[in-house]
Amino acid sequence: MLKEIIRFEFFYRKNRPATYIYFGILFLLCFAAVTSKFVTIGGIAGGQIKENSPYNLAFMTIIMTFFFTFIASALMGVAVLRDFEHKTESLMFSTTMSKFDYLFGRFFGSFIVMVLIYCSIWMAFMVGYSIGKFLPWDPSWKEKEMLVFDAWSYLQPFFVWGISNLFIQGAVFFAAGALSRSTIVIYTQGIILFVLYQVSDTLLSDIDNKTLSAMLDPFGVRAFSIFTEYWTPAQKNSQIVPLSGVLLWNRLVWCSIAILILFATYFSFSFNVVRNSLFKKKIKKGEIEEKINPESVKIPLVGQFSGFSTSISQLWTQSKFYFKMVTREVPFLAIAFVGVVQIIVDSFYFDKMYGTSSYPITANVISMLDGFDMFFLIIIVFYSGELIWKERISNIHLIIDATPVKDWVNLTAKFIGMLLICLCIMLLLIFMGVAVQAAHGYFNFELSLYFKSMFTSTLSFVLLYILLSFFVQVMANNKFMGFAMMFVFFLTTFFLGAAGIQHPMFMFGSGRLGSFSDMNKFGHFVTSFSWMKLYWFSMVVVFFVLSVVLSVRGSESIMKTRLRVGKLRLTRPVITFGIFALLSTILSGCYIFYNTNKLNQYESREDSEKKQVAYETTLKKFENIPQPKIIDVNLKVEIYPSERDFTAEGYFWLKNKTDKPMKEVHIQNDKEHDMKLEYLNFEGGAKENKEYEKFGYSIYTLNQALAPSDSVKMSFKTIFETKGFVAGGSNTNIVYNGTFFNNFYFPTIGYNEGFEIGSDDTRRKYKLKEKERMMEQNDPIGLSMNLFGDDADYIRFEMVIGTDKEQTAIAPGYLQKTWDEKGRKYFHYKMDVPMVNFYSIVSAKYEVKKDKWVAADGKPVSLEIYYNKGHEYNLDKMMTSMKASFDYYSKNFSPYQYRQMRIMEFPKYADFAQSFANTVPFSEGIGFIQKISDPDEDLDMPFYVTAHELGHQWWGHQVAEARVKGNAMLSETQAQYSALMVMKHAIKPEMMQKFLKYELDRYLRGRSSERKKEQPLNMVESQGYIHYQKGALVMFALQDYIGEEKVNLGLRNFLADWQYPGPESVHKRYPTSNDLLGYLKAQTPDSLKSIITDMFETITLFENKTEKVEYKALKDKTYEVKITTSSEKFRADSSGNEKPIAINDWIDIGIYGEDIKGEPNLLYLKKHKIDKKSNEYILIVKEKPKKAGIDPINKLIDRHSDDNTKTASLAEGV
Amino acid sequence: MTLVINQLNKTYSNGVQALKDVNLTINQGMFGLLGPNGAGKSSLMRTIATLQEPDSGEIFLGDINVLTEKEEIRKTLGYLPQEFGVYPKVSAVNLLNHIAVLKGITNSSERKNVVEALLQKTNLWESRKKNLGGYSGGMKQRFGIAQALLANPKLIIVDEPTAGLDPAERNRFLNLLSELGENTVVILSTHIVEDVKELCSDMAVFNKGQILYKGNPDDALGELNGKVWSKRIKKDELADFKANFKVISEKLIAGNPVINVLSDENPDGTFESIDADLEDVYFSKIFLQA
Repeated sequence: MLKEIIRFEFFYRKNRPATYIYFGILFLLCFAAVTSKFVTIGGIAGGQIKENSPYNLAFMTIIMTFFFTFIASALMGVAVLRDFEHKTESLMFSTTMSKFDYLFGRFFGSFIVMVLIYCSIWMAFMVGYSIGKFLPWDPSWKEKEMLVFDAWSYLQPFFVWGISNLFIQGAVFFAAGALSRSTIVIYTQGIILFVLYQVSDTLLSDIDNKTLSAMLDPFGVRAFSIFTEYWTPAQKNSQIVPLSGVLLWNRLVWCSIAILILFATYFSFSFNVVRNSLFKKKIKKGEIEEKINPESVKIPLVGQFSGFSTSISQLWTQSKFYFKMVTREVPFLAIAFVGVVQIIVDSFYFDKMYGTSSYPITANVISMLDGFDMFFLIIIVFYSGELIWKERISNIHLIIDATPVKDWVNLTAKFIGMLLICLCIMLLLIFMGVAVQAAHGYFNFELSLYFKSMFTSTLSFVLLYILLSFFVQVMANNKFMGFAMMFVFFLTTFFLGAAGIQHPMFMFGSGRLGSFSDMNKFGHFVTSFSWMKLYWFSMVVVFFVLSVVLSVRGSESIMKTRLRVGKLRLTRPVITFGIFALLSTILSGCYIFYNTNKLNQYESREDSEKKQVAYETTLKKFENIPQPKIIDVNLKVEIYPSERDFTAEGYFWLKNKTDKPMKEVHIQNDKEHDMKLEYLNFEGGAKENKEYEKFGYSIYTLNQALAPSDSVKMSFKTIFETKGFVAGGSNTNIVYNGTFFNNFYFPTIGYNEGFEIGSDDTRRKYKLKEKERMMEQNDPIGLSMNLFGDDADYIRFEMVIGTDKEQTAIAPGYLQKTWDEKGRKYFHYKMDVPMVNFYSIVSAKYEVKKDKWVAADGKPVSLEIYYNKGHEYNLDKMMTSMKASFDYYSKNFSPYQYRQMRIMEFPKYADFAQSFANTVPFSEGIGFIQKISDPDEDLDMPFYVTAHELGHQWWGHQVAEARVKGNAMLSETQAQYSALMVMKHAIKPEMMQKFLKYELDRYLRGRSSERKKEQPLNMVESQGYIHYQKGALVMFALQDYIGEEKVNLGLRNFLADWQYPGPESVHKRYPTSNDLLGYLKAQTPDSLKSIITDMFETITLFENKTEKVEYKALKDKTYEVKITTSSEKFRADSSGNEKPIAINDWIDIGIYGEDIKGEPNLLYLKKHKIDKKSNEYILIVKEKPKKAGIDPINKLIDRHSDDNTKTASLAEGV
Repeated sequence: MTLVINQLNKTYSNGVQALKDVNLTINQGMFGLLGPNGAGKSSLMRTIATLQEPDSGEIFLGDINVLTEKEEIRKTLGYLPQEFGVYPKVSAVNLLNHIAVLKGITNSSERKNVVEALLQKTNLWESRKKNLGGYSGGMKQRFGIAQALLANPKLIIVDEPTAGLDPAERNRFLNLLSELGENTVVILSTHIVEDVKELCSDMAVFNKGQILYKGNPDDALGELNGKVWSKRIKKDELADFKANFKVISEKLIAGNPVINVLSDENPDGTFESIDADLEDVYFSKIFLQA
């Protein structure tokens, strides 16, 4: 019987066109994804990771199971539901078949069909990658060498991930359909699965939650990414992701849950047609009602009204009616509830940085509440469908449609009902936001900000999508078709962008208000937001008018008839309203176009790439021609914050530092920010060659050639002007409050290599040669310039800045004087020692906190923090950090070169801090609002970041490194080291370990997504995960191995020799990482020299593991601990191919006990020489051991740092 | 007020012609539209109720053009569709109140009175607070009648209203309708001859989209006076009789067929003359069309 039912189900599906449509859609989508440039799945291939690598294939296969949820819900959900919907359940249940056969027959029948449909995915991948190169269009990997075809790498993910996911989804949807007998409940299940996935993402912001997060995700995506997070590109290209570890557990858990669900379905499914209600009916008290004789009742006459006021009251009645109807729906409540739960989970992981949360300031809470947007979308799409179809599904439509209600009333009422629902949710969200703040002990509720944000950004989002989905439902005139069309709509919008259509006027609902900055509020985004939303809103109103005119009333649903009836509905008010909306769409559209494309230049991504290509091919020939260097900068910058404009006027002195006379000076104007050079001239005159004007590139032929060692004054005025608003990527440097920009806006000298396309994949697309990211260490050109470029070595600097009178403007140098003029405020800064050619210009309304640090020689340094009012939280920590840093650096490295240090807060549009001469702009998004609730638990990031940036005053400013491979090891890595040392002396070792654990995680993840090649630290080429993260790990380990004093001595010596380097210094060049390594090697004993090779010159990884820890109590109240460990060592190449190498290293062995508070404390920590894989140590400690292991503090780079220690157990036989 | 239907035609997209040159004039009072299932009655009713568009033709209620001035018609319309559903989680009193608002009864005390009166009239008073989802077929039908009578309609269209009612309910309903019939146009479509016989002063027989007969039930009976003959025959003779005579209807009595035959005189002498009833009118019209 079971077999028969399976067969019946199978053949039923076989004859349904939907089955083939699903197959076709999936096939096409996957085929397009692998063969076209525009569609991507997962987006992890590219760079080093081959498109047809086992890893990418597996990842794409898993991602497709997301998409498949829709199909699974349609197939599995209705397997039983179908009988109820077609009212055939009575026929079915009265036959002889058993419940088991019925349920499992239906389940497996549909399941088999689902698996067959899912085969479209690997088939499409196989076909796509086999014939991709012969297609008339170019796949993105056309020029690339691909891996040899291996069928198993297509099929393994299908079997392991595909089928298991189908089974899990199938079980969930099947159960939902069979037990609830309602479509929408099925979808709700899908949402719950999805939310689990989302929650698992949120949990990940704390790296201790990895396992939990991996288990929580029913799709296995999270487990997959966590399992492979440290896989190198080489592994991804060659290894099939095995079903083991956390992956295996995830699958086991979820498949078991699925089986349980199936059994639960079996036991709770009722074979009766009429079900007992889940809730016991309340027994009503017998009300005594008078008997009424129907015949004697007279029907009273009533007044019947029409007209506008009647329409309004009908509208309101209907709206309330629909509102109540939806809010009583269990699935609606479930979706809303799930959304709320997600937000609550999010609220525990507030904007985390290294595991430390931020203060729940309102702006942050609002961006957390934005997480509900997805649920708004789900609610809107589903319930618009439900509402539009409400009457017809209930089959009451003929009655309602025959009532004398104006045509617009019904649809408008549904709209208002839907809107009311969303408004209620929005109020609930605001309430939750406040509650979350209160729960965090934060009581500065900015209610007006909540309302401003919710009732602009969120409200417009909600309005647009309600009206759009109403329109779609009305036009589709079939609920499921409507849902499908909405889905297709989302997909198209998504791929439209990839296909090069990126103008906001084509991206439905575009116009973001942007995140709220306490400094700059909503800033200039308000203008473009308002116009874009007006445009979209007018457009959907037009749609809505069309919906009113074309909606079905009565029993006619053919478009032709609807058009005919629609003509009757075109009453004057409707026409007027429609025309008004249409005009508003057109006019606002024109205004937007005028702003984005006329006032400003609009470029699609392709356009700007082409420009980059043209720049490179035309001007590359000028790259290395000798040019004079800037030696003096003297500018007057006028900032107009409310207009978002500035001008800079003044001069550079350019010096010929070569030994040949120079005739030509090449000037690059900053085109990227659309700078307008009003004039640029040379003392003594020059002729301008405008051949390359479109690149902003001019060649000036000096009237008098510049003799060696001679200088020429170059005067110019350059203007930045904000005109209207732009299509995308609007400038966030020059803003109303919190302007921060640097000298990249000013004219530069010669060809700018930075404009070239960097990504090799993109370069291949334009037939450009692959490109090295940096110059080799022995390249004389690279050695002759520093990290800030080849425009200058060291400069004299002077600047006057004018700004609004409430704002303070700051540039490097010391404030000479300040004055008011014509209602504006002016600041004159001058630096009295040479500095690098890198300067910031900052202007905002500031509060100032001042303090002082006195150097050992008695020289005072004034410390100032310029901050936004309200952001006082961490100022003391930053001050303390400045003092501690200056103490440490001046004592261990060299004296501080300036008399002042200023930190300035800037808006959170960017998340970084940056070190300029005696100034550090510091984003409000990092540090200022971080909440260190428990210094024993939370890492103090404001403290750390401040120390890092101050470190750059030495590493980068005192020693600017050569612009060659390995450069950042001199600046960033040493700034990391400096900050680590300051932190080490300020916090507990456990907290250091926590910090380093994050660094290790980020390094290992960074290398796994390396697109080109992983370099050893001494050859790093702008790879943050290496120069920051690996750098921190390596330097920390180095000082642990050879001693902090030794490292500092090496650095001190290096600094003494290399301070203020450059072509004019004793070394005639800038230093490289290998120069520094020499100084470090000099401090390293021979026995440890190999660690320099391991850490700095190669990519070396350890695999340390503790197998067993046993202890026994000895008679003298000591304990003997036996630790069994295993150690392996690997060396990796640039793409992550590893080979084992012999181990011969000193590695920590540690034993932890427990202090009085129950916290672990180290009883024993000592380095042991390890020269073979398996080792055993027998050690005596004085306290009872809790856990022990090898490299317990994770000083070495080890992918499984958690297995380094093990809990100690009492040895048997004692 | 008179309802005039002129040359109404409608063909569905699947090719079925639902209305074929329908011409009708319906005066105040009860009008019965008699026809078998699938005759096109509901199509005609929906068209009059502004819920469907004819391909050609026109309908007027007094001066109001039903096809273009839909809203005017809807104001005076009470419509009970043949099949309808309700919102299952709403109580009768709430839904009726809701529909009353849609009908334009915006004065809340008036609305309350009329809703209560109708619930009493349709004998739903005791279960008015129950959710409609729990209603039986008959109760639901009565609810449908109650809503059709909201706002004192001048044109009442009831499509197969007695289907699903038990005899007592049916009587009560027909009584209710007859009370209203005097200054209202009431169109009752049905395939049950009794309904028309008991109530209607005017009627039409409708099949395959066409009006086969229109007039007073008494006149119709008069036409058939002495022309209907009946005979009890054996089962195996049925085919023969059908071939030779105009057999308009047949029914089984105690296992053997009794046939009614239309003929000016006793067909072969063995038939009995019977008094024609409306059913014979109905069957004879349909027989003649075929």
